[in-house]
Parts: sequence; structure tokens; C-alpha cells
Amino acid sequence: MQRASRLKRELQMLSTEPPPGITCWQAEERIDVIRAQIVGGTGTPYEGGLFSLEINVPERYPFEPPKMRFLTPIYHPNIDNSGRICHDALKLPPKGAWKPSLNISTVLSSIQLLMTEPNPDDPLMADISSEFKYNKQLFTEKARKWTQEHAVQKNVGAVEGNKENTPDQKASSRKREAFGTHQEAVEPPKKSCV
Amino acid sequence: MEGSDSLEQSGSDQPESQRRRQLDRLDREEAFYQFVNNLSDEDYRLMRDNNLLGTPGEVTEDELFSRLQQIKDGPEQQNNSTSAPSTENVEDPVEPPENSEDPANGDSLLDWLNTVRRTGNTTRTGHRGNQSWRAVSQTNPNSGDFRFSLEISVNRNLAEQQAAAEGEQESQEESPEGQEVVATGEQLVTNGDPLVSIADPQVSIADPQVSIEEPQVSIAEPQVSIAEPQVSIAEPQVSIAEPQVSIAEPQVSIAEPQVSIAEPQVSIAEPQVSIAEPQVSIAEPQVSIAEPQVSIADPQVTIAEPQVPMETEVVDEPVVEELAVIVEPELEPELEEVVSQDIFEEPPRSPATLTVQPPLSPSPRRGQRRARSRSPEPRRTRARTARSRSPLNLDQQDGLRNLHNAHGSQGLNSAANTPLVPQVEGSSRTRQHVLSRQSTADSDVQPSRAGAETVPEAQNMASQEGEAAGGEVGAAGRRPPTIMLDLQVRRVRPGEYRQRDSIASRTRSRSQNSNNTFLYESERGGFRRTFSRSERAGVRTYVSTIRIPIRRISDAGLGEATSMALQSMIRQIMTGFGELGYLMDSDSDSSDSNRGASTPADLAEALNNPDATPAASAAPVADADEPPVAAGVRARTAESDIDEGLATAPPPSGGRARPRPPISLEEPSSLPFLRLAHFFLLNDDDEDQPQGLTKEQIDNLSMRNFGESDALTTCSVCITEYAEGNKLRKLPCSHEYHVHCIDRWLSENSTCPICRRAVLVSANRESVV
Repeated sequence: MQRASRLKRELQMLSTEPPPGITCWQAEERIDVIRAQIVGGTGTPYEGGLFSLEINVPERYPFEPPKMRFLTPIYHPNIDNSGRICHDALKLPPKGAWKPSLNISTVLSSIQLLMTEPNPDDPLMADISSEFKYNKQLFTEKARKWTQEHAVQKNVGAVEGNKENTPDQKASSRKREAFGTHQEAVEPPKKSCV
Repeated sequence: MEGSDSLEQSGSDQPESQRRRQLDRLDREEAFYQFVNNLSDEDYRLMRDNNLLGTPGEVTEDELFSRLQQIKDGPEQQNNSTSAPSTENVEDPVEPPENSEDPANGDSLLDWLNTVRRTGNTTRTGHRGNQSWRAVSQTNPNSGDFRFSLEISVNRNLAEQQAAAEGEQESQEESPEGQEVVATGEQLVTNGDPLVSIADPQVSIADPQVSIEEPQVSIAEPQVSIAEPQVSIAEPQVSIAEPQVSIAEPQVSIAEPQVSIAEPQVSIAEPQVSIAEPQVSIAEPQVSIAEPQVSIADPQVTIAEPQVPMETEVVDEPVVEELAVIVEPELEPELEEVVSQDIFEEPPRSPATLTVQPPLSPSPRRGQRRARSRSPEPRRTRARTARSRSPLNLDQQDGLRNLHNAHGSQGLNSAANTPLVPQVEGSSRTRQHVLSRQSTADSDVQPSRAGAETVPEAQNMASQEGEAAGGEVGAAGRRPPTIMLDLQVRRVRPGEYRQRDSIASRTRSRSQNSNNTFLYESERGGFRRTFSRSERAGVRTYVSTIRIPIRRISDAGLGEATSMALQSMIRQIMTGFGELGYLMDSDSDSSDSNRGASTPADLAEALNNPDATPAASAAPVADADEPPVAAGVRARTAESDIDEGLATAPPPSGGRARPRPPISLEEPSSLPFLRLAHFFLLNDDDEDQPQGLTKEQIDNLSMRNFGESDALTTCSVCITEYAEGNKLRKLPCSHEYHVHCIDRWLSENSTCPICRRAVLVSANRESVV
């Protein structure tokens, strides 16, 4: 499969020269699930946090974009409560901007950038977005609080804490996934940020 | 950190076996590239179009090579295929006549379809009195395409045949898996035919009437790809028709033994076979006609290109749904030829059709089909012409009854059950007959089974047929009336990954802005109604094709009665679809809507024409040539045209065509399964799908071989460095990729993976005049 060979190359590249602030590794024995962590950028409300993402590589990758999702709760105009990300590189044309010459590394980098620079004009979370636009201080406060609650604690905490939390998250996220993919099978995803 | 742990696990702790597997894969990948590079353009296209390439590293080179050989040999194998019936899927054996009375039939069908929609492909057959039906559905989970075909036949055959059929089915139990094979094995073009042949036995045995349509679907695709992958919609239908034919033949062979036992008239059973064959021949013309649609669609596509701002919206989510109802009339083979010629001669309304047609049907194949169609008739000569002459007058039902009674007297009748179609009831035979029949049948059954064995031979008939055709002796073949309903709901979404990863099988049908194109035509005694509609708001396009070829019953006496029954059935069908048509048309503003609404009536009218040949029935043996009046009929677009069509159709030697007054549609109830159409239409959901290029457009892009001196050395799709001799494709923006990488991307997208410039711009200029 093209996916396999390409993924292998990508993972190699990710391990040898990872983009700054991003780590990425293959989850478990599965070839199509990748985990990544993004360090919250300095000067952002996410500073100090470590945000985990789950990356599902579809069968048709790289002809289809990878599916990325935040596992760590994050207060962000373009990321919803279940961790879904509104980002055009994660969608196929004509709506999205995915192209096979992108890869997981570049997409993760662009998500990192999105964290630094939210895009309130294409919001996934309308209230957060308006907050970001019109009451930035409040937004920053909340986002920082979320980061402290979810992103910092977990990773600063003992490894055990990590292990406890992650399985749960995994389980729940799997469920979501299963549900999600099922739906997609029936009716292909209509992804729009609204 | 968690990350590092797992990284190590996946990286360095990799088990040895896994590593070996990866090595194997790499080898295979290399072999794949080598293989692709060594392919000629033609071969590459062939394999790509049939989705045989897979992805690098997936299969070994040997496997690829064998696939290539297979696809290349495909056509020939098809010829020989008649002998290999193994793959057909028969999930539900024909119910014994006693159980056949099932009032809830329609609902059960619906339920079944609902399940089918989920599960994929299913075949179902059943009996109702003298009627037998077979429904086949195939769903493509990826595309949502759905195809449903239902064939109802009114059985004039003896109960013995049924028994024989059952026996046969048992013998041919390979069915369930066979379907899967078909579904998955679309690539196995060559296999298609054998499937069909298998199917046939069932049909014929159970009730000669039941035509198996499933094989068609599977078969159809391969054909398309081979013949011309481009024709998306129309082709499948055609392909379908073929399987039927093959099916029909086996039946005959089986039936014969039975008949002979029951009554020395072996010859009687055979006529059925002959009937089936004509269908095939008929089917072909459809294909040719069908193509025009496709061709029309294509231009739209080009227009659709994002570049044109106005149309872009429309293009966005084209959904093409095709509903095809095929009721195939039996035509005399000889007539068929004439008809086909006529069709070709007549200028298709749309210029596109002309161009398209030539490529569509590979001449060799056509020849084969025709040959087949001819053959059966001669052999099965004069089956009970005498019987057929039973009193004809009265209502349709009465007439039917009379017919049956006549049969009954001869001991031929099968059990009477509630027919699927209420009106057909008249034809049903009483149950007592059935029972008695069965008792007598027992002895007969065995012989019949023996006959079943002969089936494969029957399939070989292609060759035999040719000979037979030469020796046609005037005899009135007895043909069971069959109504085939072929419902095809197909969604064509440009960007959709139907047949994921395959470029070839993708069809592009897009409608132009022009709303509500409505074509109404009859061909070879059949009618085909095509109407396409595009909804601007929803950016949705429907193309619905309803084809109703009527299979004529050659039997003199029976002919009329059956034709009446047929009419009523057809009327029902049309009524059902009329609703559908109304449903679809009602939304549209165009004046065509009126026509659409009235179509059922028109169709009924048209259908009546075939009946005109009742007189011919009287001539028993001598009447070997049955008037395919219907065949000649060509109604186009306008009802008035229908009459003209009749005139144009030269009645065969024995036949006369005389138009009948239109029958008013009074049937309160439409066939239950017609609701399915609604079901599927309503279930249609819109999706945003990216658009890709057509194969032609892709092929128009330049290709070259990689040379060491090139600066850019990595394909950014697979992130693999080019190797010497790799085939590269260069996009207008001068970015290059592996051919197989970029082809796949372009089949679903229209921009360069690197710079996102539209590839189509240049492609359009080239292709659009």
C-alpha cells in the first residue's frame, strides 16, 4: 500500500528531524494511528501545555488527508469540544487544501501555527470565536485556565497520571471514532467549520 | 515521556517477522515500479482502468502480470465462458409453489431491499402462481450506487419445470459466494459471463420466466471497462441484458428434458430459451442509445470545470441518478438485426450519440450475441402451437385463464398462486393443478435434473446457435412472457471515490445547466424513457432512464393473452414510475414536466403496439417467424412519433403491426416495489465531493520517462525518489509525479499536488473544441 510506504518514510523523517515543538510517534501496533504532541507556543495562552493529538491515517492516504484530533481539551476558536480541528489542510479540495505533497509533519506544524494564530473568521466554536474577537482578555484567561487544567497538569504530573488518563481518553475517543467513521461510511463527511 | 517509549517500541523493538514483511513489501514495491515501467501505455491504461494495479507493494509482480493477462484474455474468455456457471449466486432458492402465496410480497421485497442496501448484493427469487420473479440488487457501498432488477415472468410452463428448476438450483448451490466474487471482482471481467450462465439455469428451471439479472451488474462493469470505460450509466444496463441471455439458454436445456418426459414435446421447453436470447440482442441497441447520455454528460463536465464561474456551482455536486426499467420484449432475432440497423441509421438526436456509438460495442461481441439470439429459436421449434391457440378473447385475465386452462388440460399447468402483479392473476393456475402436477412431476423431476446437466452444454450454444440459426425451421416458438424491471439508482458524483482508487471505473455524468432534458424513445419495440433533470438550487442532477422493451410472446394462441397480461403488468410498472416521474418532474419548472407526468400513459400506449400481432398466433408451426412488431416501434420524444415508429418498423414476414388505442391507466395500485424508487431517491444525500479529471483528460497530460539528469528527483505524492525508467507525468504547471501516483490523485482532484494550480485549464483547452 502506498500509505504504508509513505507513512514509514514520514515517520522516519519525523523521528530524525521533527519540527520544533512537535513530537510524533506511532501508536501501539497500528499503522494507521499516530500520536503527536504539540508544545504550547510561548506567548500564547497555551504556553506550558502539552497537547496530544490523535492522527488517523486513512486508507487512501496520501490521497486523503490525515484525520487529526486533539485529545487534550483546548480552548480555541477553531477546535471544538471533541477535539476536532477546523483547518483547511485537513480537508480535501475543493473545500479544503489538502494535497499529497503535504505530510503529517507539515500539517502538524500548521496546526501549531493555528494554535498561535486562531482564525476567528472561520470558527468552529462560535462563542469562543466572538470572545476571541471582542473580548480577547477573557478569551486568553479562559484558554490559559484550560491549559492549566488539562494540558499542564497531565503532563507535569506523574507518568502514572498520564497512563490513567490516556486509556480513558483512548477508549472514549475510539468510540467517537468508530461512530464517526461509521457515519462517514454511510454519508461522507460534510466538514465545514460551521 | 510517553512519546519516546512508544517510539522505541515501534521503532527498534520491531519484531523480526514484521521487519521481514516490510522487506518483502519493499521488494514488491520495487517490482511494482518495474512492472509499471515496463508496461506499454496501452497495457498501463488497461490495467489502470480496470483497477488492477492496486498500490505499490500490494501484490507481487507475478500477480500483476497474471492480472494483465487475464484482462487481456478477457474478451476471449467471455466467449468460452458459457461453460463455467460456477459463480452465480442464488441466495434464495425458488420457493415451492405451495408456499408461493405470499400476500406481503411487496413489503417483503421492500424490507429485503432495505437490508440489501446495507448488505450489498443480493439475489432473490420467488414464485407466485404462474409467475416467478427474481430480484437482484447490488449496492456499491462506496458510491451508493444501487442497482435493482426484478424480473417477473408469467409461467406457462409445466410444474415439472419448476421441480426441475429446484433440482437445478440445488445442484448449483455455489451461489452466495459467487456474488461476492462478482462484487469484489469487478476486475475479473472475463469471469462475468460464466456467472451469467450459472444464473440462467435457475431461472429457467424455476420458471422459465425468471431472468437472473444480478450477474448483469457484475458483468456489466467489466464490460464497460473493456468496451469503453467511459460509458458510465448506459453500459451497465447493456451488460445486464447479456447475462440474461446466457441465463435463458440454460433454462431451455433443462426444461427440455422435462418437457419431453411429461409430454413428448421437448421442443416446447426450448422456445423459452430462444426468447431469452432475443433479449440480449435487444439489449445491445440500448447500449448504443444509452451512450448518448454519457456523451452528453461529458461535455457538461468540461463545461463544469471550475474555471467557469457560473457553472461551477452546478458542477459542485452533481448527482446523477438513473432509474432504468427494462422490460425487454422478445423480438425475433432476424428482426432484431434489422432493427439494430435502423437504430444506427437513424440519427441520434444528440450529436454526441453518434460519435459515441461506434466505440461502444465491440463488433465481435455484438456478433456473438446476435448469433445466440437466433439460435435458440430454431431449435425449439413449435412447442405447443396447438395449445397456444386456446381461446383468446375476453378480458386479459380471462384470456390468461383460458390459456392456462388449456395448458391444464394438457397437464402442463403449474400451481396457481397469487401473482405478484394483481392483474396477472388471471394467468395463475389453480393450486390443485400444482399438486397433481407435482405428484406427477416427481417422476419427471429426475429427468429434468438430468436435463439440468445439459445446461452447460446449452451455454456452449453460442457456437451451436450459429448453426442452428442457419437451420431455422418455421416453428412457433413458445416463449414465456417475461417482464423485467430493472431499476438502477446510481449516483454519479464527480469527486466521489466510487470504486475507490480506481480511475478506470469512474464514470462522469454531469448534466448541463439546461434543466429537464427529456427523452422519450422506443427502440426495437421497447421503450426507453430518459429524463434528466438538474436542480439548480440543490445542484443535483437526475438522469433517469426507463427502458421498457417488451418481450413478445411468439406463441400464436398464447400470444395475445400473454401480451395482454404483459400490458397490464407493464402498465402497472409504468404507473409506478409515473408517480416517480411525477415526483421528480413536479419540482421542475420546465414544460417537460407535463410530459413526464403523462409518460406512463404514453408508455402504456406504446406497449400496446406490440400486441398488434395477435393474428400471427394462429399460424402454428409455419409461423416460425414471429412478428416483432414492437421491435420496429420507435417512439421518440413525442407521442406522435410513436406512430411513426411503428410505420418505420418493417413487420417481419409473418407479423403485422397495428397500433392500438391507448389504454387508460386505471390501475389503482402500482407495484409495491416501485416505491423503492422513491425510497432510493429520497435516500439520496448530497455530499461535497471534489472533482477529478476524466481519464481522457488525464491521458492527455504529457508523460515521459525519468532520466538521471533530472533535477527534481522525488515524487511528492509517494515521497519516493524516482528510479531510472520511471514513468512520470508532467502537469501543465510543470510539476512531475509518478504516473500512477498522480493519476490516482487526478482522478479525484483537479489541481496540482504541489502548487494547486488547476490542471484542467490546459486540459480543457485541449479537449474542448
